[in-house]
Amino acid sequence: MKLQMVGCSHHTASVEVRERLAFSAEQAAKALERWQQQFPHAEAVLLSTCNRTELYTAAVETPPSHHEVAEFLASFHNIPLSEIFDDLFEQSGEGAVRHLFTVAASLDSMVVGEGQIIAQVKQAYELACARRSVGPITHDVFQAALRVAKRVTAETTIHQRRVSIASVAVADFARQIFERFDNKDVLVIGAGETAEETLRYLVDEGAQRLTVVNRNFERAQEVAARWSATPRPWADLPGLMAEADLVVSATGASEPIFTLDDFRRIEPRRFQRTLCVLDLAMPRDFDPAIGECIGVYLYSIDDLRETCEANRRERQREWPAAETIIDEEAIRFIADMRHRASAPTIQRLRATCDELKSAEVQRLLNRLTAADERDREEIAMAFDRLVNKILHLPMTTLRDHAEQPHHTGLIDALKRLFQLRD
Amino acid sequence: MTALSGVTITCFSASYAVVLALEVSRLWFRSGVRGVLLYTFAGLGLFTHTVFLVNEAARSTASAPLSSWREWYIVAAWVLAAVYVYLAAVHPRQVLGVFLLPLVLGLIVTAHFLADRTAFPQSDAMSVWATIHGIALLLGTVVVSLGFAAGVMYLVQDRRLRAKRGLSGRLRLPSLEWLDRVNGRALVVSVILLSLGVLSGVVLNQLNHRRDATSAFPWTDPVVWTSLVLLAWLVAVSIFGAVYKPARNGRKVAYLTLASFAFLLMVLAVLLFAPSQHGSGRGTSASAEGARP
Repeated sequence: MKLQMVGCSHHTASVEVRERLAFSAEQAAKALERWQQQFPHAEAVLLSTCNRTELYTAAVETPPSHHEVAEFLASFHNIPLSEIFDDLFEQSGEGAVRHLFTVAASLDSMVVGEGQIIAQVKQAYELACARRSVGPITHDVFQAALRVAKRVTAETTIHQRRVSIASVAVADFARQIFERFDNKDVLVIGAGETAEETLRYLVDEGAQRLTVVNRNFERAQEVAARWSATPRPWADLPGLMAEADLVVSATGASEPIFTLDDFRRIEPRRFQRTLCVLDLAMPRDFDPAIGECIGVYLYSIDDLRETCEANRRERQREWPAAETIIDEEAIRFIADMRHRASAPTIQRLRATCDELKSAEVQRLLNRLTAADERDREEIAMAFDRLVNKILHLPMTTLRDHAEQPHHTGLIDALKRLFQLRD
Repeated sequence: MTALSGVTITCFSASYAVVLALEVSRLWFRSGVRGVLLYTFAGLGLFTHTVFLVNEAARSTASAPLSSWREWYIVAAWVLAAVYVYLAAVHPRQVLGVFLLPLVLGLIVTAHFLADRTAFPQSDAMSVWATIHGIALLLGTVVVSLGFAAGVMYLVQDRRLRAKRGLSGRLRLPSLEWLDRVNGRALVVSVILLSLGVLSGVVLNQLNHRRDATSAFPWTDPVVWTSLVLLAWLVAVSIFGAVYKPARNGRKVAYLTLASFAFLLMVLAVLLFAPSQHGSGRGTSASAEGARP
């Protein structure tokens, strides 16, 4: 099997290098086009995410060398190869298969078990299919990788536990309080990165009635514009708190922005309606005593972090099970590939033996002029049986050793011993 | 059909017990085959339960399978089991059976203890009102039980959310909002059904009174007055919730549904242990008090 991978990931390269080597969808399409022009007989699939850029290449005959692939990646982005060479890594044959399976199953991700990578691998494969840069080897290995990812998802809980603060806040806490978000008044206090990340999860969950409040009203307007939310001035905060169902707070304030007394003032207007407060600020924005009020569920970043850690530990526990699946599938895939790779050699060996057998049978029958039709058939069948019996053992050995690394050596030995030429 | 004629209470009770055990096991470990087993046994339980009721109806002279207290409770258990199967299909990852199936089994056990009670007297003239009376009270009982299960789930979920622990664990429950909605609706629907049941009972009694002037409304019958207390409680709770907004707080509604179930248990206990003549066609309501409870 002549499959290889050259690329960089969060394990080998800094974010600056990864950014320089990253491909947008358009760039990836152009790169595959250029690849086909440059290496018309080689297959290629380009996987580019925020954490990795990996180019999988394969060829039935001689594939481009690792250096050529690295050169291709660098030249596409007009980067001197020497600047990125040390950040790249490579995998060949079985190593490349295992690596792809591990990536697709998200065991190689920065956040182990994150679900996005499966979709990204699928998109990379589909793009290569659309650009016709895939071939029999990359077809098989990517389809197998997607199968492995699905198996890992179905048979382990590695994907089920969320590990980012924002996702845990929305999915593990708010989701257990509210059935739906489209009819809830969501108030976001603050306009920083954390607030925006949480907004993204809330919008994904269907939140529509979004309000952003920030001390800097212009910043609130910017964030609100990005998420189709309503910006409101800081002075409106108490009124908005009285109306809100879900509050996400992530300001940089050094003191609590909402005390128990503040809440007591708006409490009668809430009629004990359920209020979920996700306080993602450090130090906290909400007085913890508010969490004791009727109908209020208040979670601080420490509560969420604890759940994140517990989820991370649960994922680690699932790691061996996921690895076992990857091992099983990789062994099976490689054995299948070897079977297929050895098929032409076996066919040629059988054809050679058949030719020899036919010639010998013919010579013998020419001498045995007295033999009748039945004798001739018996002789031909005896030669058939002899050839089958001689070939049976080497064929069985080849099949049984298809999973072993020395299988290719056996095929080569067979070619040399019987002088089988491609 | 000969094989199905041998279906007994034990058949579907055992199936539900297996489903309950499978549901409880979800709290401890993961399994790939449990889902298949769970739905198979739940389906089997509901199927044999249905066959049992059909067989009972075929044997009975009554038009519907509500000819005795025993059948009434078995039908109530069937409705609740059907609700469970539906909810288990819609919310496959939540352990609803842990809360609903004990109620189903409880109704079946109650039916077992009421096996020696005499059948309801049949009267064609009153069959419509009697059927309305029986079915409305039966559905009311199911809805109160459902509200109780939702109430318990709400309090468990509320406790977990306040403790901020184990939220991504194996005990998966519906959201507070969903449970709150079920609780609220259970209260309203149970008021409607129990009111309909009581009103149809009054009409039934009036019809009896026209036929037999000596028969009077059985106010003093323990089953009747405890049922009226249950209805009064539910009406009071509903009015309280309608006029006082804070009473709509989920936890309060959950406690109210729990209290409603306590009243229901009181009615049940009276039926089992108190000297009631309700539904027997004897006593204060004379010859034909009603063909149903």
